[in-house]
Amino acid sequence: MKAYILRRLLIMLPTFCGISLIVFLVLNLAPGRPGAQQQSTDLASDLRGQSTQESFQIFREQFSLDKPILFNSRFALEPAELEHLLKVSARLIPATAAEQIAAREALEDFGEYGIPHLVELIGQADKTVRDNSGNEASPAASDSAEVAAARHIRDLGVYFLKLNARRPLVDPFNSAPSDELRAKNQRIDSENAEIREMSYALDAPEAEKRAILDKWQAWYGERRQRYEYSSLDKVRVFFLDTRFARYWRNLVKLDFGVSLVSREPVMDTLLSKLKYSLSLSVVSLLLAYLVSIPLGIFSAVKKDTPGDRALTVGLFMLYSLPSFFVATLLLIYLSVGSDIAWLRWFPTGGWQSQDFDQLTTWGKLKDVAWHLVLPLFCLTYGSLAALSRYMRTGLLEVIRSDYVRTARAKGLPESEVIGRHALRNGLLPILTLLGGLLPAVLGGSVIVEYIFGIPGMGLWVIEAIYQRDYNVIMAVQLSSTILVLVGLLLTDLSYALVDPRIRYQ
Amino acid sequence: MTAALNSSEPDAPDQTLRASYLAQVWQRFRKNRIAVLGVWCIGVLVALAILAPVLSGNQPLYFRAQGNTQFPFFSGLFNRLLFESGVDLFFNLLLVLLPLYALVYWVIRRQSGVHFHGRYWRVLGALVGFHCALFLTASVEQLGSIQNPLYFTETVTDYHALQAQLEAQGHDVDSVFPMRPYSYRQTAPLRGLEAPSGDHWFGTDSEGRDVFARMLFGTRISLTIGVIAVGIYVGIGVVLGALAGYFGGAVDMWISRMIEVMICFPSFFLILTLAALIEQRSIFHVMIIIGVTSWTGVARLIRAEFLKHKSLEYAQAAIALGLTQTRVIFVHILPNAIAPVLVSATFGIASAILTESALAFLGIGDLTVASWGETLNTGRTQEKLWLILVPGFAIFFVVSIFNLVGEGLRDALDPKLKT
Repeated sequence: MKAYILRRLLIMLPTFCGISLIVFLVLNLAPGRPGAQQQSTDLASDLRGQSTQESFQIFREQFSLDKPILFNSRFALEPAELEHLLKVSARLIPATAAEQIAAREALEDFGEYGIPHLVELIGQADKTVRDNSGNEASPAASDSAEVAAARHIRDLGVYFLKLNARRPLVDPFNSAPSDELRAKNQRIDSENAEIREMSYALDAPEAEKRAILDKWQAWYGERRQRYEYSSLDKVRVFFLDTRFARYWRNLVKLDFGVSLVSREPVMDTLLSKLKYSLSLSVVSLLLAYLVSIPLGIFSAVKKDTPGDRALTVGLFMLYSLPSFFVATLLLIYLSVGSDIAWLRWFPTGGWQSQDFDQLTTWGKLKDVAWHLVLPLFCLTYGSLAALSRYMRTGLLEVIRSDYVRTARAKGLPESEVIGRHALRNGLLPILTLLGGLLPAVLGGSVIVEYIFGIPGMGLWVIEAIYQRDYNVIMAVQLSSTILVLVGLLLTDLSYALVDPRIRYQ
Repeated sequence: MTAALNSSEPDAPDQTLRASYLAQVWQRFRKNRIAVLGVWCIGVLVALAILAPVLSGNQPLYFRAQGNTQFPFFSGLFNRLLFESGVDLFFNLLLVLLPLYALVYWVIRRQSGVHFHGRYWRVLGALVGFHCALFLTASVEQLGSIQNPLYFTETVTDYHALQAQLEAQGHDVDSVFPMRPYSYRQTAPLRGLEAPSGDHWFGTDSEGRDVFARMLFGTRISLTIGVIAVGIYVGIGVVLGALAGYFGGAVDMWISRMIEVMICFPSFFLILTLAALIEQRSIFHVMIIIGVTSWTGVARLIRAEFLKHKSLEYAQAAIALGLTQTRVIFVHILPNAIAPVLVSATFGIASAILTESALAFLGIGDLTVASWGETLNTGRTQEKLWLILVPGFAIFFVVSIFNLVGEGLRDALDPKLKT
């Protein structure tokens, strides 16, 4: 049995990897980027208000949005490519506003990989400017077009160099960093502070610009080695310095990152939300089985009687009723908060009353149960039809078999025949259904949680989807997948409980 | 008595032998009265969907004033200000061309006489293909350098106001309007949330749009969603399932792993995420998303059938004859393996309709079309009974019809299952 569970868990691993890859690709290849509204599109204002730009850049780095998605080949960047992008972003080449923004984003995203080329380009441009500028006092007036372009590229280059030279802190959300980590981060921070000083305003005197440019050359000279990649480095960068690799590294550590909206660790929120969704789903499934098994037995025993037919038709109607329709109706007609309610029996929604904390344990239990009657009903009724139908079919097949006839022949009462002999085998088909029911119930809980305002995963994921909170969407998708996988395993194991003939080796 | 027996006996087994598998299924299906009723209801729904502009619209079929006769209805059918969605375009084209199609069908039927049966599907297929091609042509704005005659926007004249104005001036106006005088997109800010009355049969929604018209045009959306989404996933599922079942081995392993991965997804989460991530989504995006996320069931069915049929004599014979694998798979085995998919597809239509209305209910649908789910959501937020009951029962009705037909088909395909 243990070996079987272990083997099943091992098979789950590739399945889980496949799912995480799909979720990852869907979220990352989808158009529309998170945090885009934080970015201004005006270049001139950015050159002045560089701190906003920097904070947007930090935001992108924290969520690895600046990395390529699957493979990173940025170590093989060509200087000509960067030059082209610089020209586009300076509008030296005719370009639309969208192209300009894209070029600037690409330049920002290149990060450390662009630095050697940027330094080189700035050096070249500076040389052009120095060779051709005659009048030191008012250079702009006497510039030819070529020199003006070089000057523009140089100044922009310094701007992007400054953005890219900054290094991200290591593990910034660690609440209890070790001394070593703290020291490392302090070093990075002081280095970043130094870089922050190394920029100039566009209208600064040429001498000041020269000084800063010399500083950059010296800075790069000191750190030249950091930006040279050996072939081993290149392999590492190609596969590991990507969004997917980072995502997986975090996943192994069970770290889903930080919510883009609330900036709280997703894992903590997830655990608190799981409580609601999981109890809703599990109770709903239990209820579904508890109700449909007797219903199925009833229609199998009373086969083709009016009672059986009425039950089949009734369950069929329930099966076709959309749960959001029923939930809306129930909420409007049976809840306290509605203006046109017939019976004000149930709360308007939520998980618990406001005075929950003052209640006794029994009172708390009653309060939650009172809140859950309607949501549970809406989540459960749809699966009743399929379950009881399968129960009926399964039981009817068993009832025809020889051993049941024998049981009857030896004079056992009918209740004994059905309850002890037939039922166990009749249960097998509906246990198989559990695997398919679990994703459906989890998916259905989205709508039920949305309508009844239960603060579980479903409501959370809808809000996350509206706000493009990628880390949250990813976490909910993956955790619900894990739930389904575990559910499937439990289903298989429960066969052994019901049917002693099944042995797992 | 004896004579009657003698005359009928040699015939009877012959008849059943000659009847094809599908014909046998159809005969069993016809005995299920409720399911047949369901098929008729689907027919009525299709008719409602096609005739929707005639039943409710604000452009008169015929308008005569001051010796001037106009037919604004027909040009209105292709006016993008009145009908923006591709679904409407498709059905409007169908409405105009239906008499022509009926004529073509009738002529071919008359000519081919007894041998018609074999050509039935081919004629139908050709007509559907022609219509789809026409639809695709009509949805492009420019054909090369020529402006598409079926693609234009034209300011919409309010003929009701015009008529009232002309009559006030003492002119004689002759006009024939559609049954209900409201277009489903015509907003009336001052008449929002009106309860059902003789004027607005099902009341109005929060923007003053006529709910009856929206229900009518919502039929088009629901039927299209059902058919296209299911078409997409049956296509994907059949191809993948056939490959897995026929070739086995590594192909089967990979496809089965893919199926496993997709099954473990709570698919509604995935659909929700995909739909929300598309900016400016249209109803066709929703169809494609439902299609690409729900193919696993069909793939499993077809795979199982292929595993079974591959070793049967007829398939072995086809392989031994040296036919290409494509031919063996799609011409010889597939027609025999497709029957269970029909059942699953019919249930699939019902669940695709449910999914679409759930998406629209959550506000993640196409906001330009008349979706039942969207009206229901308005009813929820505004707490108006007619805005909940009318779309709710519309969804319930359509979903249960398709489920009924699906049940009937299942019983007809496999009588053993019926217990």
